[in-house]
Amino acid sequence: MIRSIEKVLAEYRCRKGALRSEVCDYLRAFRRKDYLDTHVDEARFVVFDTETTGFDTSRDSVISIGAVAINQGRISIDDSMELLVRRASIGDREAAAVHGLLSRDLSDGCDEAEAALAFLVYCGRSVLVAQHASFDILMMNRILQRHFGIRLMNDVVDTASLAKRLEKGPYYNLAHKSGEYRLDNLLLRYRIRLHDRHTAAGDAFLTAQLFQRLVSKGKECGILTVRDLLLR
Amino acid sequence: MASNTIVERVAVDLSHYPPFDNLSQEILQELAASVSVSYHDEGEVIFRKGDDLRECAFMVMKGAVRLFEHFDDNEVLVDLCDEGDIFGVRAIFARQDYVMTAQVAEESLLYEIPVDNIRRLFREHPAVAMFFAAEFAKSVEEIDHSLTEAYRRSAGSSIREHACRSFLENETLEVRPVASVTTCPPDISIQDAARIMSEQDIGSIVVVSPEHHPMGIITDTDLRKKVVAVPGSIKERPVSDIMSSPVYTINEGKTIADMVMLMVKTKLRHFCITADGSPDSPVTGIISEHDIITSEGNNPAVIMKALMQAQSFEELKEQRDKAEKLLQVYVEQDVAVHFIANIITEINDAIITRAIGFSLTRLEPERSRISDKLPEFCWLSLGSEGRREQLLRTDQDNAILYEDPAPSDAEQVQEYFLQLAREVTGILQECGFVRCPADVMASNPKWCQPVSVWTGYFRKWIQTPEPRALMHSTIFFDFRPVYGQSKLASRLKQEIFAEISRNSGFLQFFAKNALQNPPPLGFFRNFVVEKSREHANEFDIKARAMMPLSDAARVLSYEQEIAEYFSTPERFRRLSTLMPDMKDLLQEASAAYEFLMRLRTVNGLKSGGSGRYIKPETLNKLDRQMLRNVFGAIEKVQKGLTLRFQLDYIRD
Repeated sequence: MIRSIEKVLAEYRCRKGALRSEVCDYLRAFRRKDYLDTHVDEARFVVFDTETTGFDTSRDSVISIGAVAINQGRISIDDSMELLVRRASIGDREAAAVHGLLSRDLSDGCDEAEAALAFLVYCGRSVLVAQHASFDILMMNRILQRHFGIRLMNDVVDTASLAKRLEKGPYYNLAHKSGEYRLDNLLLRYRIRLHDRHTAAGDAFLTAQLFQRLVSKGKECGILTVRDLLLR
Repeated sequence: MASNTIVERVAVDLSHYPPFDNLSQEILQELAASVSVSYHDEGEVIFRKGDDLRECAFMVMKGAVRLFEHFDDNEVLVDLCDEGDIFGVRAIFARQDYVMTAQVAEESLLYEIPVDNIRRLFREHPAVAMFFAAEFAKSVEEIDHSLTEAYRRSAGSSIREHACRSFLENETLEVRPVASVTTCPPDISIQDAARIMSEQDIGSIVVVSPEHHPMGIITDTDLRKKVVAVPGSIKERPVSDIMSSPVYTINEGKTIADMVMLMVKTKLRHFCITADGSPDSPVTGIISEHDIITSEGNNPAVIMKALMQAQSFEELKEQRDKAEKLLQVYVEQDVAVHFIANIITEINDAIITRAIGFSLTRLEPERSRISDKLPEFCWLSLGSEGRREQLLRTDQDNAILYEDPAPSDAEQVQEYFLQLAREVTGILQECGFVRCPADVMASNPKWCQPVSVWTGYFRKWIQTPEPRALMHSTIFFDFRPVYGQSKLASRLKQEIFAEISRNSGFLQFFAKNALQNPPPLGFFRNFVVEKSREHANEFDIKARAMMPLSDAARVLSYEQEIAEYFSTPERFRRLSTLMPDMKDLLQEASAAYEFLMRLRTVNGLKSGGSGRYIKPETLNKLDRQMLRNVFGAIEKVQKGLTLRFQLDYIRD
């Protein structure tokens, strides 16, 4: 309900010319959802990952975004993006240790609003894919709401849930054994060589490889279209 | 604005493998950005023969992809690509469709590199262009080879010789005979013949009948030895008196390989070509040793000649070293293994013969003292040398067999032969054949015995087969006469056949013994390697692959009473004609064994040893694939033995 009100408001502001054209183009693309019946091998997916100052969604913020697209089943290396977001502080020491990002790097990054816009342009209406997607979506939505009063409208696939669904069926309770579906464990299980872990782009590339395998496995279980994948 | 992290990741992956391992960062990153990454499940087909060419070539990042051709209904594996290998390069050069099918053998991650981007590298980086051109050429060549093999197989002709493509036999390196043969009738005088030879500056004249059929040949050697050496008016006599007759006649179209074998075998130096190959048709040409030698620089016949003329055993060693170089050339040129093995065996035998000759001369005083008591003897080679398979110089295994002397002379006779054996084995050692660590040599009194004792040995092994003793006695069952009275050896062999037929249980034990070394089950990427420290992470090709086959061939040969002194591949080939129900398998085993001989030789030449231990990572893809097939064949052969001798019922 809130979403559709937001959308109506945003479209109104677009007509008034009060919203950046990139945002308006983004919104307009979702008028039709005809991609749902596209075969999974034909669709465009954007696999992304964000690095944040911490894991508190109300206080912490995004410091980098990495993404790579899958077109016609192939990861297209040149259809990828990587953005650093300029920050005054990078949060606590632990996060810095994890990401290897120092404040010096971050002062080179771009403005938060510009980063979000670039991401919108890049994604268009493609289906978003991320490991434990809800966290990354939430973090991105906070930026978008703060600057443009909108949220991501894309359909989303969470690789952890998809893996669980393929391995155990849709009703398995993930909460008990969440460790099994951590990215490291999934990569290991699907025999993907670990590289560049803990950079947004590196994780996005690895997640994309994981997603390729999951889609291939899904086809055996009859997941053939984007609609099947999204359980619509 | 592609992600730097991801582009760099892909660039690093590419830079691990040729031809991208020498490109600058900048170029690599540009190439990396153009890559698409695809994932494929086992069994998926990337492209099929006849499909339109794709706009990219493929690099395997993980997994394995097999490329194959169809021939009739058979798939013929052309190549197996694993990590770092590139396939589909045809798209770079050709305009037509794919000529092979690429199928995923193991789940794979592929980097698809657009051909336009690859071509763009060519101008600035000739090395990259060279690499792809070579890959392209190689793929065409390999299809060719694989198809030839497949054709040969499907046509049911002779033997499969996968990897031992015969350079000399296939390349039709034909020896061109001299067509303008100088001939003369049998009744012209020797003097006239000599004059013709010197006028025309030729080394031989073929003596022909009125129908132009070859009757004999007169060479400068004949003139020198038979005429010059003899005093008197022999020069007026007709040439028929001194000509060498009959002439060895052959068909046209002989290859160098044929001719070299023939020379080594016959020890002749001139061969006459006739219309139908027989002496009863007109002469059309002549091939002399000189023609053969000039056809091919490095020649076993030259080595043989030098061996026969050697005055000291230092010269023997020198020639044996030369033979090893020749071996290397042959192996590099992929000459058929049976051909190489024949040549090297002839050379080894010549060395043994010469070594015995030297020793006999040295022992002449001793010999003349007891010559009335000395019986006839036969020098035996055992084990792999006995099977004519010793390509590289490994250890000596030999024995002496002699006619039973009068009991009163027994000790004296044996002492003489032991003395002879010590001389001979010493010379062989000087020539690079190391002493047998288990002392299975003619110089060991136990293995220098008269026929009766040898017969007794075999009788004991056959009547009371005891697993350990049997294992050590197998090399004796591969004896082969090399010098002296070969009838002693054949008499011994007949005794063995008779003894075996009287002891029905023996062959079962013999077969059981042949199953001691099962082949590795899996191989590809989970190679069975040796555990001992010295050879850790190496593969024992002798124990793991060759012995199971040579053991099986020996058992079946004795079962079928094959009297010839054959090599393992020859045994299998003969057996395949004697045992029609196992024909295909036996032919496969023969080809498999020749492949293993070649692999071991290549490895031995590379590492300067016996070649027995192979480092798996040094094998190329095709060899690995072949080896995997070989293991399959070994398993089938062993199953065949188990069934045939009902070994499931025997308990250890």
